[in-house]
Amino acid sequence: MNPALIERANAVHWEWMVYLEMWIAGIAAGAYATAALLEWFGQGRSPIARAAHLLTMPLMALAALLLIVDLSRPERFFHMIVQVKTWLPSFKPWSPMSIGSWLVLAFPVFAFVSFVDALIDRGMFRLGSWRRERTLHGSSLGRIWATLGGLLALGVGTYSGVLLSASEFPGWADSSLIGALFVVTALATGMAALLVISGLGRAVAPPDLRDLARAATFMVVWQMVLLVMFVISLGPSGARVYLTGPYLLALIGAAILAGIAPIALLRFGATRLRPATAALGGITMLLGGFLLRYAIVMGPQAHG
Amino acid sequence: MSQVNLPVQQQAPVQQPPIPSTTTVGGPTAPIDYRRDQAVGFYTDTTVCIGCKACEVACKEWNQLPATRGGEASLSGDSYDNTVALSGTDWRHVKFIEQFNPDRVGGRWLMMSDVCKHCVQAGCLEACPTGAIIRTEFDTVVIQADVCNGCRYCISACPFDVIGINEVTNTAQKCTLCYDRLQVGMTPACAQACPTASIQFGPITSLRERADARVAQLQATGAQAYVYGKEDMLGGLNSFYLLVDKPSVYGLPENPQLPSKQAGLGWLAGMGSAVVGGLLGALSFRKHRMDERRPVVAESLPRDRREVETRDEVRR
Ligand code: SF4
Repeated sequence: MNPALIERANAVHWEWMVYLEMWIAGIAAGAYATAALLEWFGQGRSPIARAAHLLTMPLMALAALLLIVDLSRPERFFHMIVQVKTWLPSFKPWSPMSIGSWLVLAFPVFAFVSFVDALIDRGMFRLGSWRRERTLHGSSLGRIWATLGGLLALGVGTYSGVLLSASEFPGWADSSLIGALFVVTALATGMAALLVISGLGRAVAPPDLRDLARAATFMVVWQMVLLVMFVISLGPSGARVYLTGPYLLALIGAAILAGIAPIALLRFGATRLRPATAALGGITMLLGGFLLRYAIVMGPQAHG
Repeated sequence: MSQVNLPVQQQAPVQQPPIPSTTTVGGPTAPIDYRRDQAVGFYTDTTVCIGCKACEVACKEWNQLPATRGGEASLSGDSYDNTVALSGTDWRHVKFIEQFNPDRVGGRWLMMSDVCKHCVQAGCLEACPTGAIIRTEFDTVVIQADVCNGCRYCISACPFDVIGINEVTNTAQKCTLCYDRLQVGMTPACAQACPTASIQFGPITSLRERADARVAQLQATGAQAYVYGKEDMLGGLNSFYLLVDKPSVYGLPENPQLPSKQAGLGWLAGMGSAVVGGLLGALSFRKHRMDERRPVVAESLPRDRREVETRDEVRR
């Protein structure tokens, strides 16, 4: 046993709402970060980037709702942001929960503007000079916007993992790599969601789909490398909480669905990649990412 | 067939040096005066605890905490301990540790009244995002029930597993070191009720002197006594213990650390991972950009779109 830790009796009760939230917020963050990358390569208005812009905002709204409902006193959710005794901002940079609250507040601002921009780009409405011919994304201001939003997205993808590491629970506190693993899971699942949308829709050109598939396969490989590094970093006493019962099965499932299967299906964006195969690869990545979040969030809590 | 009466094999009793009582031989245990701006706390001498649980009862009475969980009194089956752990409604917990030979002929009881350590470097206070957890003018750590929104991060951030959710208020709760009593110059309820002076309350400096004297007294008799929670542990525990066995025997961490120690490394690793992810993504999309002007044959496109010449056109 790690000499800093003891077995826990008091549960944090971070259960299905929490790992579901982490998965959903991860998809949103990963998709937006992918769109930001595309913006840098002059594709800020490409169908893939636009799919990401349309996807991020609703997913983040759902994630924030789950976070609020999961509080023991949901009506006090705004205490995360304001000190109720002084009405000054409540910001503690040394607390990952505090940083996370601000990220979950700030990131949707960027996501919302990009969402509206995507709707305008579809010709659904216009707001003064903000019209289809002059959208934010695709312009140089759009690049700045996408970069800032993309950085916040990476923060959203990372903070929940750092938060778990910065705790006193065996299995979480034993490794500082959970944030590193979670951010790449966010990127992978975000790209996976875009693969599903692109593979099932008809708007994305095959070369673009192949590029996305290549990027997604790279994320899968990096994610598996980090998963192995994470398990090693736990040491025998930390690993014990994951390598039993449903958590071991979930980890094996994650390795297959978010590792082996997408590598075999997407093949780094091989020339003859079919849209349906790309979508299937995306689906397995999403399921595997979910299992990974489940195992990491629930394993240590079951061993209290 | 005649029955052979074999002698019963008895294990030698565990030899323990007798523990002198604080009231007959030890240092003074009388209440010590304190001031508002002074750091105060508890010194718990586990060697004189008799497991009467008066502290638990006094705490529940004063703080109006429910005595049963959900209206049902349950027996744990673990020695005389039915409280089981500190929680949002159990702010004192007397631990019963039985160290007996298998035949129970020799051995000893270790009893320890556990409570929030009111750490000088408190993990809970550091983690709390709402500012509900504060350090008071007495250097104690208090959760303000009217501010806490029940995110439960403090539960995971306490190295001693002290905090739990109070089902009545639906907020995180723990010992307040009787903040309301301190403000009017009273002794915390548990220390007041303790009949053996196992729990002593007062200014930290005076309590540490008492603890050191008691350790010296016990060590002189050959006992393995030491103070758990000196200044080298999280800046000092304002509720510290005199123990006679390893911390793990009492369910305490050997070397507690602040959770933020992991946070710095975690952010660094997260940023590194994001950079690698970003570079891999950029590599994938950059290739695309370089191919941008080259003609492509979009084999998997529907027949009516095959004539398009560049990727840009395909996208449009
Ligand atoms: S023992 Fe736990 S609850 Fe008490 S002050 Fe220390 S960290 Fe906070």
